[in-house]
Order: sequence, then C-alpha cells, then structure tokens
Amino acid sequence: MTTTETARDVSAAARLRKTSWYQEPRWQRLAALIGVAVVGAQVTGVEGNNRDIFYALKENFTSTGFAVWLAVCVGIWVVREFAQAPIGSAWGHVKESVKAPAGEVQTLWRKQFWLRVGILSGVLVFLIVLPLLVSRHWQQVLVDQIAIYVLLAIGLNVVVGWAGMLDLGFIAFFAIGAYSAAFWTGSLPVDPPMVLNNFAVIPIAVITCLVAGVLLGAPTLRLRGDYLAIVTLGFHEIVYLGAKNWQSFTGGTSGVRVERFSIDLGFWSYSWGLDPRPYYWLLLGFIIALLVLFIRLEHSRVGRAWTAIREDEVAAASNGVDTVRFKLLAFAIGASTSGIAGVIYASKLAYINSEAFIVLFSILVLSYVIFGGMGSLPGVLIGTAVLVWLPEALRDSVPAQDRYMYLGALLVIMMIYRPQGLWPSRRRQRELHMAEEGTGGADALGGTAGGRQA
Amino acid sequence: MSFHDFWDVLVLGAVLGSLYAVIAIGYTLVYGVLQLLNFAHSEVFMVGGFGGVIALTIFVPATDPSGLQSIAYVAVGMLFGAVLGGTVAFFLEKVAYRPLRRRGAPRLVFLITAIGASFFLYNLVGKLFGRNPMPMPSMYENKTVVTIFGSTISVTQALILGSAVVMLVAVDYVVNRTKLGSGIRAVAQDPEVASLMGVNIDKVVSRTFVLGGLMGGVAGFLFGTTNQVFYTMGFLPGITAFAAAVLGGIGNVRGAMLGGLTLGVVEAFTVEVWGDAWRYVGAFAVLVLVLMFRPTGILGERVARTA
Amino acid sequence: MLNKRIVKIALPVAIGALALSACGSDDSGGGSSGGGGGDGSGFTIAYQGPLSGPNAQLGINMENGVKLAIKEANESGDYDVTFEYASGDDRGEPGQAASAAQRIIDNDDVIAVVGPAFSGAANVAAPSYGEAGITALSPSATAPDLTEQGFPTFLRGVPNDGEQGAAIASFFAEQGVESAVVIDDLGDYAVGLGNVVEEALGEAGIEVQRESLPADTVDHSSIARTVIQSGADAVAYTGYYAQAAPLAVKLSEQGYEGIGLGGDGVRDPEFVNLASGAAEGWYLSCPCRDLNEDEIGQKFSEAYEAEYSTAPGTYSPEAYDATMMIINAVNELGDSADRASVYDAIAQGEHDGVAKTLTFDETGEYAGSGIYIYEVKDDEIVSLGNVEELVG
Repeated sequence: MTTTETARDVSAAARLRKTSWYQEPRWQRLAALIGVAVVGAQVTGVEGNNRDIFYALKENFTSTGFAVWLAVCVGIWVVREFAQAPIGSAWGHVKESVKAPAGEVQTLWRKQFWLRVGILSGVLVFLIVLPLLVSRHWQQVLVDQIAIYVLLAIGLNVVVGWAGMLDLGFIAFFAIGAYSAAFWTGSLPVDPPMVLNNFAVIPIAVITCLVAGVLLGAPTLRLRGDYLAIVTLGFHEIVYLGAKNWQSFTGGTSGVRVERFSIDLGFWSYSWGLDPRPYYWLLLGFIIALLVLFIRLEHSRVGRAWTAIREDEVAAASNGVDTVRFKLLAFAIGASTSGIAGVIYASKLAYINSEAFIVLFSILVLSYVIFGGMGSLPGVLIGTAVLVWLPEALRDSVPAQDRYMYLGALLVIMMIYRPQGLWPSRRRQRELHMAEEGTGGADALGGTAGGRQA
Repeated sequence: MSFHDFWDVLVLGAVLGSLYAVIAIGYTLVYGVLQLLNFAHSEVFMVGGFGGVIALTIFVPATDPSGLQSIAYVAVGMLFGAVLGGTVAFFLEKVAYRPLRRRGAPRLVFLITAIGASFFLYNLVGKLFGRNPMPMPSMYENKTVVTIFGSTISVTQALILGSAVVMLVAVDYVVNRTKLGSGIRAVAQDPEVASLMGVNIDKVVSRTFVLGGLMGGVAGFLFGTTNQVFYTMGFLPGITAFAAAVLGGIGNVRGAMLGGLTLGVVEAFTVEVWGDAWRYVGAFAVLVLVLMFRPTGILGERVARTA
Repeated sequence: MLNKRIVKIALPVAIGALALSACGSDDSGGGSSGGGGGDGSGFTIAYQGPLSGPNAQLGINMENGVKLAIKEANESGDYDVTFEYASGDDRGEPGQAASAAQRIIDNDDVIAVVGPAFSGAANVAAPSYGEAGITALSPSATAPDLTEQGFPTFLRGVPNDGEQGAAIASFFAEQGVESAVVIDDLGDYAVGLGNVVEEALGEAGIEVQRESLPADTVDHSSIARTVIQSGADAVAYTGYYAQAAPLAVKLSEQGYEGIGLGGDGVRDPEFVNLASGAAEGWYLSCPCRDLNEDEIGQKFSEAYEAEYSTAPGTYSPEAYDATMMIINAVNELGDSADRASVYDAIAQGEHDGVAKTLTFDETGEYAGSGIYIYEVKDDEIVSLGNVEELVG
C-alpha cells in the first residue's frame, strides 16, 4: 500500500467523521425548538377558511403569538445550553431528597397488607362519593364517557395487554351489546320473541358477544398481530355498516329509543331516570366486579398462560399451552365485557344509532389502554380516565374544534417520553428495560420496530 | 351483467384500485423496514392533496389552459403534492418514531404515536385551511380520451391510471435495483446485521418514509382531481390501502400493488351489485376470506421477521 | 428510575386535583355570576352541536350564526340586556350529547339553547333540557319523531321533511319527469328526507329508484354510472353539499343530461364553488327565503361575510334566526326573564327572521310553511320562487 493511498484513506475517513456546524447537537436542538415554535404558532393561531387558503398562515406568522412562541423556545434553548450545569445539579438534589421517602412509601406499600387495604378502601370510598362532589355536568361525563370507556378499556386490556393480540374491532362487540339491549327490550323496529328487562339482557348480550367473538376468533386467531388487527378492523366495519344500512332492523342512523334500566322485585322497585348518579354507581359496581374477576384471572393458570403466549407464542405452544384455546378465551372475555358496556350505554342514553359505533372509537379505546400502560389494570384505569377527561377539560381553555388536536399531540409527546404508559405493570416495565438494554424483545407482537441502531 | 357493464365497472375499479395501490406502497415500505403500522400515512396522503390545491391556487390562472399548460399544471400539482407528502413523512419519522426507535419501545407504542400524530395533523390542517372541502382547480378539460369496448376513459381516469403505473414501476425499480433499495431490503431482513454491514439504518428508514411519502402525496393530489380535498379525506382511503397492503402480503411491494388493485375492483363490483352503502363490506369480506386461506396475504410476506 | 417513582405517586394526585379543580371552577363560575340581576342583566345563549369530528363544518356554520346574532344584539344598543355566548360541542354524537347539554344546563346564566343540531344528539339531550326547563330550539334537527316524544321544551326551527318531499315531487311532476333516482347519504337527515321524497314521488306516479351514497364515499363514479344506467330523467340528492358537488361533477362527466335537484342541505354557496361548472342548472329546494330578496337578508349576508370572511353556509341563517328569536323574547321579558318564561314566550311567539318566519305548534313543531326552489345559474344560486307559485 502506497503512502498516497493511505493518505487518501485517512482523508476519506476524516471526511466521514467530520461534522459540519449544523450537524452539532446544539444547533440541531435550536432548529428543533424553532420548529416547535412554528408548529406551536399554527396550533394556537387563528382559524383558516377556504376562501383564502393562506389567510391563517399569513396571520399566524405575522402575529404576536408567533413572536411569543419563538421567544419562549429560544429562551428554553439558551437556558438549556448555557445554564445546564446549575439546573442539572439542582434537579439531582431534588431527586436525592425525594428518593428516600418515595422508596419508603413503596416498601411500606409492598409490606403492609393493612396499609394496602386501607388505601384501596379509601380510594373506593372516594370513588363512591365522587359524583356527590362534582357538578352534574361532570357526573354526566363520568357516566357517559369515563365509566363506559373504563369498562371497555379493562376488557380490551385482557385481549391486548395480557394475551398480546392486537384488536382494532373492539367497539363492534360494544355495538352488538347495545343492539342486543335494544332488541330484547323491544325497542328495535323488529319485535323480539319476548320483551325482557334491561338487566336480564346483560347475560344474553354477554352470550351473544361470546358467540360473535368465538365465531370471529376461531378462524382468525391463527393470524399474527397485524393481520389480526386488520381482520378485526374489517369485522368492525362490517358490523358498523350492517347497523347503518340494515335500517328495517336497527333503525340505522335515525336510531331507536331504548328503555332505561328498571328493577322490580315485587316489594321494591326502582327505575333509572335522567339522573346520572345511579348509572354511575351501577357502572362502578360492574367495573369493580370485573376488576376483581380479572385480577383473580391474571394470577391464575389462565393469566400465566396468556403471559406465556404474549412473550413467545411458539415457546408457549411447545411447552404444552393450548394457545388457540387461551387466545380464544381472552378474545371472548374481552368481547363480553364490551357487550356489557354496550347494554349499559344503550340503557343510559335511552337512544342509540349506528354513529355511536364508528371505527374511530375502536382506535381510541386501544390508545387509552396503551396510554395507561397495557397489561396494568391501574394504568388502564387511570390512562382511560385521563384521556377521556382531557377533551372535556379542554372545553374551557381552547376552541372546541381544536380539542382533539391537543389530544393527538399529547399522545405523541407522552409516548415519546414515557413509552411504557402512565402506570406500567412491573412485568412490562422489565420487558421494556430489557429491550432498551438490547437483551430481549419488548413485545411478543414481533420484536422491536426496526431493530436498534448499532 | 353484460360484458359492457362488466368492462365499465372494471375500469372504475382499476382507477380506484391503482390509487389504493399507490397509497398501500407507503404502508408496506414502512412495514418492511420497521414492522410498524404507520397509521399516520393517511395524513401524508391528505397533505398531498392540500399541496396540490395550494400549488394550483398559486399557479393556475382562471383561463382555459392550452394542452401544454395543462401538462405543466398537472406536473406542478403532482410535484407539490409529492414534496409536501414527503416532507410530512420525513418529519413524522423524525419526530414521532425515531425517539421511540432509539428506546426500543414496543411496536404497539408506535401505533399510538401514529394515531396521535394522525389526530394532530388532520385537525391542524382543518384549522389552517378550513373544514369545508376544496375543489382541485381545473387544469384541463376533462373529456374522453379513449374508448375501449364501449367504455369511456376520461382524462382524469387516464391520468390516475397512467401516473399510478409509472410510480409503481418506479418504486419497484428503486426497491429491487438501486442502492437505497438494497438498503431497504437489508434492513427489512435483519436490521442488526445490516447495520454491521455498514448500512446506516437511520438514513434508510428516513428515506423509506420519504419514498412512501412522495407516493402518498401524489396519490393525495390524484384523489383531489377525481374527488375533492378535505381535512378528513385520509381516513377511509388510508384504512382501505392498509387493508390492501395486508391483502397482498404486508412488506411486499408487489403484493401491495396487487392488493390495491384487487380491493379497488372488488369495491367497484360490490357497489355495482349491492350499492354504495355496502362498498367496504365486500372489500373486507374478501380480505378476511383471503387471510383465512393464505394467512400472510396473496403474495406472502417477504420480510423476514425477527422474533 | 427515581423520577419515575415520583411520577407514579404524584400523577394520580395531580390528576385528581386537576379534575376536582376543574369541576370546582365550573361550579363557582356558574354560581357566582348566576342569578342575573345585579350588574345590568347579562344572559347567556348557548349553542349545542358538532364543533369537532367529521361534521364540524356544519356545526361551525351554525355557531357563527349564533355568535353573529349575539354580537349584533350587543352592539346595536336596542336591547336593555346584554348577551353572552356559550358553546357546547357534542361532536354530533349521541354519546357526548348528554354531557354537553348538562354543561350548558349547569351554567346558571344560560337562558335558552340553540340546538342540539343533530337529531341523534337531540334525542339524548332533549330530556335533560326538558327537566331543566331550558328551551332547546334546534335550527337543524329534522327527524320527524323528535316532536312526537313529548319533550317538554324542545322546539324545532325547521320544517320536518314532509313538506319538502311533497314540494319536490310536485316540482318534478311539473317538469314532466317520468322516472327519478332518489339518493340519500345514509345520515338521519338525508334518509328522512329521502323517504318522504320517495313516497311523494310514488304518489305522483313517478317511477322511483332509491340509492344510498354514504357521506364518506371515496368514489362517486359508480353512483353516477348507476344513475345513467337507470335512464332516469331526474336525480334528487337529499344529503349535504359536500357530497352533492362531486356527484354533480361525475354526473356531468359521464354525460348525464337530466334534472339534478338537491335538498336544503345542498343549498350552500360552497356547492357551486366545489362543483364549478357541473352545478349549472341544478335545482335546490329549501324551506327558506332567498337572502338576496330583501334587505334584512342582504344585511345578514354582508355582516356574516365581514365577520367570518366567508359566505353564510348551510343552517347559518337558521341559527341566526333562532338566536334572534331568543334575544327578542328575553328582551321583552326584561330582567324578569327566566328559563320557563322564555320558553313560553318563544313557544307561543313569532319571529320574522332572515330565512323564514318562526312559529311553533303545540308539540314544538315548526308551524310555518313554504318551500322555495332555487336554481344554479352562472355560478349563482337564484331563487325561482315559492314552489306553489311555480307549480301553479
């Protein structure tokens, strides 16, 4: 090898190693923050119109809002670049001082059985009296949206979080439950064989959804993650279009009025009316009953089988786990939970139409589950509550049209900074840690996306 | 159904299907390298439509264009759609996916950022440009160009079919014959080994997104010429194209083309027989049936899965 | 590791606190300023309808109408009381209707509501409004059974579909139509109108074919083909302008030469804008007067354009009229106005608005009448007059 060649090699290597000024992290961070300012100014800017399509852009870039965004972002950059050391040490100090008590609380929680019971019953009491503390608007939100979606999310958690199957058609079973309620209470244009009380419909809806779940699941559960996702999505679309188009049976988009809950025990009778609180307590009862059931299930042989399937289906099968049966079981349990929610939903609103079951809702419930931390019941509960609550709370602070834009931004930011979810299960967290260190897959749904950069 | 009807419906289906095929390429390329359902691709498509409208609003004066001008307008609209689609796809990858990839997050988390990004993007576009649909400014006189077996094909239809074929051939060439293509295939097969062999994964992934974005953007523009442009226009074509990618065998570029065309034709025949209301029922029923007998799609998955 | 634990503990607390504070502030906001009186009598008029979700544009059209009316009332100086606006976004979904309505009801300042905009949402929300005694004057919910449920305070500010169906049928008969295709968009408004049009056409001895074109259709070529294959002389589309425009374009592309007619959901300047040349010659039926016909209509159009830099859209004039009716009713009652007295005043009152004259029968059904036919001529929507005059 001649010297000139070596020199050329060196220079080539040096050229590869050389980073231009704009490639330095510092300036890239500045560019990113300016990008944030540009987007932020659009987000908080004026409403555009299609008469003059550049109107909003022109306004936003010349407004004071843009200047404020720019100033704040550049300010953040300056602080970050030039005052990092003192801030970092201060933050470290705070961390240190919280470390000890936080750790103690956690060990106490683990060790003291009675403390756990005390806190949990405190939470329970709080949840029971919650509707008495808030305005009626929030009572409605609690029932119509938060409680219903919590019920749905804990059902979907069984399918996605525990058994590791990606289900994008969960609301289809919700629709089946709701239409069962309408059918058996004699509310649909078609007469049922016999008219039943709403409560009596619940077991029927559960069975209907179980059957539907098995019918859909049996041929399709062989499919892996993403294929299952699109099949379930297709199933949802078919159920939705059926509800929408088969107007002589379902009432279509015009909808039908449904009976509300009532109970008549001979000596005592009660009818649920417009007041949302009784529905809340009813839903709370169902949620707690299902939670108890699911927690038992999670720690049983069935739960362990799901974990095995989720982490490695092939290994689980070779160790004698009947994967198809357990997957079918998870699917059916999820479907029937969704069905219960559907019955309660129809009975609460006293009205349903096909537009209450659009595909978007299936996607939303899935994001609630993952946002909270799939596989972790407290995570799912809190995640759902937060994400449903957020657009309602935003009513006071942002234009109504923009609420879901903020929801989307929150989903992205949250997942970037906390991919394990709000309150991940311990097992999930460990799996993620292993993945981060490169010693294992985070997800049996098929490895980590794109592998890792060396 | 007479032969003439059959041919008519087939043409309608092929036009729609070629649009689906072009969008489906975006899904399948990204799936190939990341095993990720890029739900936000539907917004890339939507943005492409807006890119076309914006460009044509600037450049097209309200006069009857001559032949040469028409071609120039179409080119400009397509270019802007492609550029905007590519840009959005590029930043989407950079902002929403790359940080997750660095952390080795589970794939479902990518799905949620994709959904979040999709919500954010379409609501933002709706806010900026208004929520009323917009027509694509007229670039040419939409007359019949050719009649085959008594079925007429209009300029718009010919434009869609023609550009879809060109794009599909081009992307097939890129994936199978170029250096970028071998990078994409290498990353799809085994990212770790690929990076040991000197493939810059970040770069390949980023370019894959841009490639998908360019195609999606042009598809958005084409959709605008035959329908109209509005902020929620990505949702249904996006889902159908995703289904098309799965139908053909996800990760498989030729599979996506075949899947798109199949779904388009199936939709057209479903509509012909049962009416527009049942359009997606036919498409999804075919999808479920095919997956039951061929669990990895018509042409099979080409990506080697790392499990 | 560590801060994750902190977050773990702090987050639920923070969320709880936030939730409570949000509810708390709601309460206090309603309570402290409630009751009116005191400082020169302010009343709030709320609007409930979709402001987000797929039907946001229709909702925004209405919201703009409501806001414009309130703004004009406050600026005119003709009124002794001032008005404020409150919005209630329900996404047009039944599931969010009850909570959106309740939020409005909980606000003690709200004297009456324009809405719910959609029939599904109205079905869920109307009982709550009834219980609270708040007038719910809907500018757009047309499902016929809404006024048959006995909702105590629900008023409908648009005719239900019956009259318009008959008008379209007689207009088609006048035009010598022998067979027609009726297309709906599967939404409750379009299906309802489509059903009555189909029935009325059948009674008029016109051969009818019924089709459905979902509101989110990606390709309108197939339906256009179906129409042409059927050999019909006329098409009646009962949905909204956003779908009517591509339908008109595809029909003209494929060489359709018969009559095209859209219902009141199509009578929007955007229809002409979207369909460009293809809208030419389309007829539009609407239970509303021509805004360009008289002075108040023109004034409304100009004010709307000035405020929102776009022409009034579908249901904007209706929402404006409904709001103005409420404003006038409250003003007449003065400081003594409360929810019940406002309802009585509106239910028995009459308001001569820009789109039509609002009166109600005892079930809360719109009691006015008159269907007007419009035609698209040279990219303008021109009134041909009342259908009765046209048919003679």
